[in-house]
Amino acid sequence: MATPAIEFCDVAKTYQRRFAGPRIPALSGISFEVARGEVCAFLGSNGAGKTTSMSVLMGFIYAEQGQCRVLGYLPGDVRAKERIGFLPENFAFYHHLDAEKLLKFHLRLSGRQVANPGALIAGLLTEVKLEGYKGLTIGKYSRGMVQRLGIAQALLGDPELLVLDEPTSGLDPAGRKDVRDLILALKAEGKTIFLSSHILSEAEKICDRAIIIDRGRLVCAGGMQEMLAQGDRVEIVVDRLPEALEQAVKGLGASVEREAGRVRIAADTAQKRALAEMLWAADCDVLSLTPMKTSLEETFLKLVGEGTK
Amino acid sequence: MKIRTIARSTFGTFLHNKVILVLSLLFLAFFLMGLYSALKFKSMTTASNAQYMQYLMWEDIGRTLLLLSGLGSLLAAWAAADSVAGEMKSGTILAVMARPLRRWQFLAGKYLGVLMLMSVYVVGMLGVIFLLTWLGGHPFETSWWVLLVYPLVRYAIWAAIAMFLVTLMNPVAVMGIVAALLSLIQFLVAASSLSDIPTWIRLPLHFALPLTTVVLDESRFFTMTQAALKRYPWTDHMTALAYGLDYALVCFLLAIAVFQHRSLTRG
Repeated sequence: MATPAIEFCDVAKTYQRRFAGPRIPALSGISFEVARGEVCAFLGSNGAGKTTSMSVLMGFIYAEQGQCRVLGYLPGDVRAKERIGFLPENFAFYHHLDAEKLLKFHLRLSGRQVANPGALIAGLLTEVKLEGYKGLTIGKYSRGMVQRLGIAQALLGDPELLVLDEPTSGLDPAGRKDVRDLILALKAEGKTIFLSSHILSEAEKICDRAIIIDRGRLVCAGGMQEMLAQGDRVEIVVDRLPEALEQAVKGLGASVEREAGRVRIAADTAQKRALAEMLWAADCDVLSLTPMKTSLEETFLKLVGEGTK
Repeated sequence: MKIRTIARSTFGTFLHNKVILVLSLLFLAFFLMGLYSALKFKSMTTASNAQYMQYLMWEDIGRTLLLLSGLGSLLAAWAAADSVAGEMKSGTILAVMARPLRRWQFLAGKYLGVLMLMSVYVVGMLGVIFLLTWLGGHPFETSWWVLLVYPLVRYAIWAAIAMFLVTLMNPVAVMGIVAALLSLIQFLVAASSLSDIPTWIRLPLHFALPLTTVVLDESRFFTMTQAALKRYPWTDHMTALAYGLDYALVCFLLAIAVFQHRSLTRG
């Protein structure tokens, strides 16, 4: 069995100003796994510990407790880093270089041997829509252009695992869609992608799994579909609903929506059986009975809200 | 290969740095001051006072050299501290260290980049000395390699000290400590009677500070003037340079040891 791409086991990290000051727990024993080939969203409010977790994962900081493994190696191990593409939050760069020179610099550091580095870099710049800016120093780039360049440098070493901290930060809606499409294309290639984002609707569209943390603690981890189906309401579709029965249905706290040729009834999951029996008894044809999906945002707010309470 | 890539990038970054531009202007100002003196003494030289004028000119050039040398020490320390702290402050280090690069390789690349900068500085300093003495009409007769190698080793020491300190504290504090150390050394070099300083102070100073020949009688690391003007056998030169490089190496290894365990993030 292949080892997971990312393993966090009881990882804890505390920040403290040197010599004095209160100890601020950033991560309090979080454990989760990301399987190979998965696109996993890492979600949490500001200060929840996402960037700290990613820093531990990349070996930039050390955890005080627990163990983290990436592609089977300890964080910071060169053998793992050879196969990782990383986009830091607020990607920073050398202002005096242009995009091509920066990517050449990173390509040399990646150790990747390519027959034609120029063609590889030109291809990547086209992929992130930064072609045609030859000679323009990065210091003159817009925020969105810098972010695109950051994504290009993350893809440079043809990584097996992509760790992206807020990949759509600073991008306009069209840019966000481009990144989303790019991630979906990488997913189709079988790459593992671990990304943090504040834009939950995007994470919902592209991710297979989600891990939610709040104030350094793991709140929830699971498949995206299961997470979205975690709503406590069901939808029953019937061919017809007599007026007299509608009152009884509403009496059970359900809502009714009439459409051409069908009636949609939304109710609490707890009332599912009673409602179904009532409809069958009245000779209504139940066309479907499905759990109602919630949005990731609703799930997130509910889980994080519970954590706050 | 990776160390060289980091070194070249570091050197390239220095060439776009405003502080380097200011220091280059200071270098130019010191050069012009020396040039003014050299030409002044040349115009005042007659057949009867030639020897005295030569003495005065060399003394003046010696002062210029001291200023340039001190400026070089500060530049080496600042460049080393800023090359690491600047990357951490701006966050550029994160994308770099995400590459298959070990922490010691990053630090070695940075150090090499600083030495590349200081090599250019030393060559410039050598050019200034030869130009001033030539224009002054009294060419300097010494081994040119001494004027290249000694300052370079000296700057390697200051760069290593600063690199070690910056792994522990912010660069402003580093420059404060370096300036204090430089002042202390200047005080010790200039002190007329070192025998007044008790041995229990002199001995630790001798081992803690670079360039402390005068603290104890035995030679540890020659000052550039000593090395340039006095005739020492090559074994003495080798010993003195080995002491200097050893000092730099110990500081650099300490820097690696601390950097290995510290956080690379801005926080």
